[in-house]
Amino acid sequence: MFGWVRLSVIGLFLLTIVYICLSWYSRSVRRERLEKQFDEGSEHPGPREQFIEDGLKAYEGSLRRKLIWGVYVIPVILVVVMIYVTNFM
Amino acid sequence: MRWFKWGFWVVLIALVFAFCHYTLPQRDIVRVTGTEIIRQDFSKWNRIFYAQTDSGNNEGVNRDLRLINTSYPDGSVMVFRNEDTGFGWPWYFKLDSSNLQAEAADKISTRAAPEWVAIKHYGWRNEFLSIYPNAVTIWDVSGPDARIIPWSNIIIYIVLALIMLGFYRLVQRFKRRKIDPAIAQMEQKWDAVEARAAEAGDEMDRARGGVLAWFKKWFGASK
Repeated sequence: MFGWVRLSVIGLFLLTIVYICLSWYSRSVRRERLEKQFDEGSEHPGPREQFIEDGLKAYEGSLRRKLIWGVYVIPVILVVVMIYVTNFM
Repeated sequence: MRWFKWGFWVVLIALVFAFCHYTLPQRDIVRVTGTEIIRQDFSKWNRIFYAQTDSGNNEGVNRDLRLINTSYPDGSVMVFRNEDTGFGWPWYFKLDSSNLQAEAADKISTRAAPEWVAIKHYGWRNEFLSIYPNAVTIWDVSGPDARIIPWSNIIIYIVLALIMLGFYRLVQRFKRRKIDPAIAQMEQKWDAVEARAAEAGDEMDRARGGVLAWFKKWFGASK
């Protein structure tokens, strides 16, 4: 009867692992790009650490970071669509 | 050792293949010949191959099992079970076993006037274990040679491949950005420790040399 509760708990746990991995990956990609940007261009004022710090702060408010929440949203939509297609179509 | 390594990979690949073969949907074109319900007493050997009771009910020790009897175009037969997967594994989210049973009963046809249907199912038929594949959906097709493109399997395999690729990239990046620098730092530290140890050793040699010289000076060389 409460199978969906169990699925939600396990799903939440697994998706949280995916979310953490993905947000680390995305941040790491951004940091590397900022490092390359600084090392290649000479016109950036200020020290390297400051430049990267500012870039990551801008990244924190970006749409790209918010899209990672899709890790939680997409499976829920998928499950609802699958329930509809399997049982009511 | 090489045989062990090969054996390990062969067993692993066989297990993955068997798991996919059992879990992913397959489609059979059949003629429904009847539906029935049998009482099923699960054993510890075949319990794992059955789903749980219908998603609104309580689980008991034994229960009735819906079956769909079918024939293939070549005359061989297949019996499907018809169970709710509910919200459990595998994730078909099937809640409408009773409706499916009614649909199957509606499509019963005779050998003289066959009505071909496709049944999407997962699982295996095994006579030794008394297990049946679980029918998920049923629909009419034009004939026994109708072509069905397995879209869901294509999508599932693509998504699985993408997930594996993503995991590979993640591990590579983690190794390059976190583990390699840590190892490099550790090596640097280790080099420093070794250098200090070598220095300490030199100092000890010098000190020992000094002591020996002092002994020699006072007591003469031993030989």
